[in-house]
Amino acid sequence: MLKNNFKKPIVFLSIVFAIFYTLFPFIYMISVSFKIRKDIFAMPPKYFNFEPTLYNYWFTFFDQIPFFKFMINSFIITSVSTIAALILGTLAGYSLARFRYPGNLKYHLSFWILSTRMLPPIVVVIPLFLFFSFFNLVNTKLALIIAYTAFNIPFVAWMMRSFFLDIPKELEESAMVDGDTRMGSFRRIILPLAKPGLAATSIFCLILSWNEFLFAVILTETEISNTVTFAIALGVTQYQSNWGYMAASATISVIPIIIFAFIVQKHLVRGLSFGAIKG
Amino acid sequence: MFNILSTDKNLGFFLILPAVILLLLLTLFPIIYIVYFSFFEYSSNVDIPHQFIGLDNFKRLFTDDAFHNALSNTLFFTVVAVSIEFTLGLGFALLVMNFIEKVSVIKTILLIPMMIAPIAVAITWKFLYAPFVSPFNDLRIRLGYQPLLFTSDVKLAMPSIIFVDIWQWTPFIFLMMLAGLASLPKEPYEAAQIDGASPWQQFRDLTWKFLQPVIIITLLLRIMDAFRLFDQVFILTRGGPASVTDTLSYYIYKVAFRFWDIGWAAAMSLFMLAVTLIISAWFVGKLNVEK
Amino acid sequence: MKIIKFIFCILSMVLITNFTYAAKLTVIVPNGSEGDGLRAASKDYTAKTGVEVELVQAPYSQVFDKAANAANAKSGAYDIILMDDPWIPFFAENGHLEKMGKYFDALGVDGPDNDFLAKSMALCRDPYNSGPFICIPYVGNAQMFFYNPGAFADAGLAGPPSTWDEVYAAMQKISGSGNFGYVLRAQEGNPVVAQFMPIFWSFCGKLFDENRKATVNSPEGQKALEFFLKLRDVSPPGAASMNAEEIGQYLLQGKAKSSINWPNWVSAFEDPAQSNVVGQMSYASIPSGDCAGSSEIGHWTLGIASASKNKQTAFDFINWATSKEQIDISAGRGNPPVRFSTFINPDLTSQERLRHFPVLMAAINYSTPRPRHPKWPELEQVFGVFLSKAVAGTMGPKDALDKANVELQKILK
Repeated sequence: MLKNNFKKPIVFLSIVFAIFYTLFPFIYMISVSFKIRKDIFAMPPKYFNFEPTLYNYWFTFFDQIPFFKFMINSFIITSVSTIAALILGTLAGYSLARFRYPGNLKYHLSFWILSTRMLPPIVVVIPLFLFFSFFNLVNTKLALIIAYTAFNIPFVAWMMRSFFLDIPKELEESAMVDGDTRMGSFRRIILPLAKPGLAATSIFCLILSWNEFLFAVILTETEISNTVTFAIALGVTQYQSNWGYMAASATISVIPIIIFAFIVQKHLVRGLSFGAIKG
Repeated sequence: MFNILSTDKNLGFFLILPAVILLLLLTLFPIIYIVYFSFFEYSSNVDIPHQFIGLDNFKRLFTDDAFHNALSNTLFFTVVAVSIEFTLGLGFALLVMNFIEKVSVIKTILLIPMMIAPIAVAITWKFLYAPFVSPFNDLRIRLGYQPLLFTSDVKLAMPSIIFVDIWQWTPFIFLMMLAGLASLPKEPYEAAQIDGASPWQQFRDLTWKFLQPVIIITLLLRIMDAFRLFDQVFILTRGGPASVTDTLSYYIYKVAFRFWDIGWAAAMSLFMLAVTLIISAWFVGKLNVEK
Repeated sequence: MKIIKFIFCILSMVLITNFTYAAKLTVIVPNGSEGDGLRAASKDYTAKTGVEVELVQAPYSQVFDKAANAANAKSGAYDIILMDDPWIPFFAENGHLEKMGKYFDALGVDGPDNDFLAKSMALCRDPYNSGPFICIPYVGNAQMFFYNPGAFADAGLAGPPSTWDEVYAAMQKISGSGNFGYVLRAQEGNPVVAQFMPIFWSFCGKLFDENRKATVNSPEGQKALEFFLKLRDVSPPGAASMNAEEIGQYLLQGKAKSSINWPNWVSAFEDPAQSNVVGQMSYASIPSGDCAGSSEIGHWTLGIASASKNKQTAFDFINWATSKEQIDISAGRGNPPVRFSTFINPDLTSQERLRHFPVLMAAINYSTPRPRHPKWPELEQVFGVFLSKAVAGTMGPKDALDKANVELQKILK
């Protein structure tokens, strides 16, 4: 839209500034992960004149905490809940985008779906703990999978609904005229077009499930179901927290997400696009 | 079964059914539990039963100072944080939208704050805010100033929390706005240029209108999450100093898990739910969901 | 029908993927040295008796959350709880701890043996010091006064500090030129209250009187808070949001020269990877004001959940884990002991890193417990808010104590 010539340097500088501002705390955290305790708290801080150590990373993986197991748990819980949320949410979004509902039901239903995301987790966790205890699901991966899927469905449903609204109805209709079923045309035509939307939405689902803390602490007990976020929190003790370990484990914990983000980055913008004119 | 499914009319119903069932499953019991206990005084004692106290927990919404404090802190935080995040996110997106497409790795880098576990974000900022350990304060000291007590000064604590939230979530708004801007139709702009409209007019009349759906959803999601702020307060300030960063979620956490006054926590949660519902209803109303 | 088969499949998947506790005993412990010590001990126990012991470890604050949650739900999820002292009244007076009388009777004894320190044992009785035993002490925490004798000697105080006045004079000399005489923590809630109580008691303050009426705003209380604020003035800035962590940092870096803190920190001071002051720190009892100095006692104790399904097994384990041999081993792992014989065990006291044992034992013997009230978490939180406000300067000391008294009275009803 704006096409001034001296705009380029401004844009360039702002991008550089944004990257610096974004990455500075992140790099700081990584630097903490390579310091011994004395240097982490050095007053005044030691920027480059400290002796780097791999002790924190060694501690993360090879000391008492079964970090590998926690990572595997997180992988399983996150991927299953994300896939489940994508499936259920996408179908729901498609239903809201394409089908007619009696009366005002569609408005109320979509609003209700959104509202399930509004309850403060603090209070919901207590009855959910009772609920899961009743089915003997405390300290299982399944409990977290179910919970995270439910957390993510509203977001997926709303995102995909908007995405589907962007795709002209004619595409399915012409396929159905040619003899395809509704779901067939969904599978063959709509879904491939929806890949960017799925990719982008999946990042947010992944981040939420991977990093979630409260339920991961209250609904889990042992290494059967503990997650990576819980592992990071284990660094906090009543007296002194193991900051180097927490920084190291947090760094490791963010790597899979960054990798996934890099894989889908092409789709990130396309995938969240909304019907600019349509609603 | 497939006969039923292929009927178009019922298909829509069946497509949304699994999602609805799962959501019902996980929200029905908690809502019933919360509503039920909001009328009781919860007892942790095995010998003393829960006492029915009618509307007392709700009356307390009007009289409890700590609750009012938490509420005003939360409102302040939500309004300020989301406004700043939105302005920065949209502004930056407008600024860089044409250039950033070519280098998508920058997008991923800018998203990193969102990807780090909130507990790790809070811990990192704890260091960045410390009086003597923080690089910022180190700079200040070297320049001859006193260190800033970000999390201990009653005037600075809430802005410090807001700043962390801005750091963490502006990328989200940025990404959503970028997506919205990327799908703008070209014709109206070409027509406007021919008509001689200024960039500001184009923004006001075209861009702003076209972006309405994205903006509404983004703002709504951010407001809902900001209203429930917990992690940063829990790690960085514990509601202090002098309760200036006590947010609703943190206060409810204390009441529920420390004092085990579940009834009072339930009443407050219902209040939070009601507020969020009202705000969202207003937003969603603007979205025109009837289709 | 297909639907029934489908539901059956789901149900069996749920049941199969669900690993219920196959272990005989489930113990909930905090992360950190107490939990690690018990974990190592439980491995020895399993090797010795074949009883499986599963340890659930959680961050400190969440241990209470989870244990109380399980207790309220009467789920029996945990057989044994490793409790921090302030939690004991909540669990004990709400009926969530199994009274151990009958298990001791079965062994032919009245209770834990006399090798346990008296103050330690008193904590585990409900009512305090008189009722039946509801737990056995495991880790003997009591606050000590940590100080750098070199720095204090330079500031004019030779020898261990005994009164606040003389200590404070030295602190004032130290503060200035980048160092601090003291480091105060005043984060609202447990941190500030734990820091304040020893000072409160050394000025003869009492939290409530015999009729359980709040008396924090007595003249003694005022004097204590005013001195507390004077300590803030010789401490690093930002006290209103600091906790034990920050105290440790300042002491370890050598920027602050004294504080009141828990014995777990001693090993950190002697560790060159963490400390700039190896060998320079010393430990003493809490200095006296108008009354004798008294530290807050803060033991970790092992209790049996009343909802547990394995009470006898749990008791056997607890009894074993607190036996003389095990407490000696635990002390070697860095957990302050609860037994007299361990405190004077020459194999331990000869170690450099355990040279604070005599001071710690004295601290325990002269300590004061936190007031025993089932609503202590709430009382502590509310009191802590006002203390923190006084330190932050948003409320005057008299105002803070008066308002605190009113609020505490509401909870005490």
